[in-house]
Amino acid sequence: MIESDGTASLGEARIEAAYGSGDGDDTSSATVARPMEGKIFEQIYRPWNGPLGPRWVRNYAIYRHHVYGIVSGSGHRRYHPFVRLLLLVVILGSMTPILMLLLSTLVSDDATGFLNRMWGVNRYNLWGNVLGYFPRNLCMWPLLTALVVGGLISDDRRNGTSAIYFSRPVSRLDYAAMKWLSAASVLAIVILLTYMMYYSAAVVFKGEGWSYIADTLPIFIGGLLAGIFLVFTYTSIGIALSSISTSRFTASISFLGYILGSKLIAWLIEIQFNTTYVYMVSPYDCLAHVGQWLVGLPSNYDHPLALSVISLVAMNAASLAIFASRVASLEVTRE
Amino acid sequence: MSDPVIQIRGLRKMYGPHTALDGVDLDIGTGGIGILGPNGSGKSTLFKCILGLIRITEGGGTVLGKDIVTMGPQIRSSIGYMAEYDSLDPGLTAVDHVRYAGELLGMRPDQATQRAHEVLQYVGLEDQRYRTIDSFSTGMRQATKLACAIVHDPQILFCDEPTNGLDSSARQFMLDTLRRTISDGGGTVIMTSHVMEDIQGVCERVVMLSGGKIVLEGRIDELARQITREIEISVWGGATKLEEWLLTRGHRVRRMGRIMRVEMNGDETISAILLGASETNAQVRVLKEYEPDLEDIFLLIMQRLGKEAKGASAIIGGRE
Repeated sequence: MIESDGTASLGEARIEAAYGSGDGDDTSSATVARPMEGKIFEQIYRPWNGPLGPRWVRNYAIYRHHVYGIVSGSGHRRYHPFVRLLLLVVILGSMTPILMLLLSTLVSDDATGFLNRMWGVNRYNLWGNVLGYFPRNLCMWPLLTALVVGGLISDDRRNGTSAIYFSRPVSRLDYAAMKWLSAASVLAIVILLTYMMYYSAAVVFKGEGWSYIADTLPIFIGGLLAGIFLVFTYTSIGIALSSISTSRFTASISFLGYILGSKLIAWLIEIQFNTTYVYMVSPYDCLAHVGQWLVGLPSNYDHPLALSVISLVAMNAASLAIFASRVASLEVTRE
Repeated sequence: MSDPVIQIRGLRKMYGPHTALDGVDLDIGTGGIGILGPNGSGKSTLFKCILGLIRITEGGGTVLGKDIVTMGPQIRSSIGYMAEYDSLDPGLTAVDHVRYAGELLGMRPDQATQRAHEVLQYVGLEDQRYRTIDSFSTGMRQATKLACAIVHDPQILFCDEPTNGLDSSARQFMLDTLRRTISDGGGTVIMTSHVMEDIQGVCERVVMLSGGKIVLEGRIDELARQITREIEISVWGGATKLEEWLLTRGHRVRRMGRIMRVEMNGDETISAILLGASETNAQVRVLKEYEPDLEDIFLLIMQRLGKEAKGASAIIGGRE
């Protein structure tokens, strides 16, 4: 129906009804933002009155910051892409026995056959998955530790970032414990998780039952304990070296030098003088010695097991003492 | 002064045989407070004691009603601290850094993220917040440190040399921001700086330390009023003769090139200066009453203090 005043026939009324245009458009003016002279932005102080979480929330933040940085590209501690790549290579490398286990299962049914002895679950393989020298303790674990732990404290010393922890309600004990735990977690994920995956894969691939598990579980737990000792010791030594340096390179190279160098010197002395006592200075050999006992393997070393245990305890105690002392000396007001 | 947020009584801290703080009594209310003192005067030790970071040898006190001896973590939850030296992780972006600073106080990650954006906007880094710290200028780093310190809207903000290494515009922005933090935040800003002008620009009150003791405390304007007034003249030609003329007639004169400051003894001083200028043919181009600033107070105290800490009120009155 056409309106009597004729406006509807031009279609303007509908536009006005829909968009409100036409009414006073000619007289109104646009509101244009006018910057105030000398001000480049509007500075507004916004108060905040939210709740602050308890101690465990703060500690978990430290832990998360360091562990998530391994997988997350941003938002957490930055690990160099090379470190992440190496971590991936180490994880894949430490999982190769699982692949070989699968292959041996597929090509052979013989439980006592060569392939099974080579890749299946037995004392030697469980020990070797954690404490085998080549490639794990020569190339993989020490390098992994050096790269993950090297900058953990030394970066804080160099950048002065210890101040952001200690000027907040984070105690030195919490700081040290969370740093240690985050490093140990990364090592544990790589070393212990792949070890557990290997054992689980053996059970699954071969369709083993409870009796098999009952037979092999004590050996598996022995190897797991040896792995825990390894993670503990490497983390402690690595973090102690990181805490006495302001350079992650120095800390990392010192760690590699100590782990590999002490082994090399002890080996040279063994072949020259036919004694294994000097292996007591080598963290790897002390761990290997204890690991052999835990898994139930004959020892490669002539010296008593007790000496390796004492040496391990002394190494860990000394490392943790150095670490604690260096953390205690970290300054808030200046470094 | 408003109700004190920090109360320190008989605070004594010894490092072996060395006394870093010696019986410090201090009340700090809301507003801006400058802590001054030469190197080794005990400023850092006082900060550490107030933050509950070190064991106190003797005495005690409270911060926001919390005991500094037993409640260090609770105190550090309520205060913000902006360190003098670089304390930033160069690999993190500004927003990640501030968020992590918030999480270290116990904030939930989502709260900390939101708050990080808010405070970075406040310190002028809104457009730069996704850049990594290693690409920041000194001014931007200082602003990031301030953002980390105020992420939880603390009641007390400690700033250790906040304008260190800043150019004039960045310095002005930092001082404006601190002033705004006091006025809009309604809290306390405790600040140290070697630039007296900065302290004077932000703080109303000042505490001066020397040899582990408080030698001066009070409002800057009141302290300035207590300093002996001087007449400042700018002399072109004959300045040395005029200086000698004034000195021989018992006036106390400080000369800095063409500028001379003559201690004022009523209106006679001005008459004496004009008479001296007339007799020595010196051209006095400017004559005005000198407004002493914080630097004058500080220098005067330090000059007259010597090694022994005396009562400051007697010293600033010019009557040693």
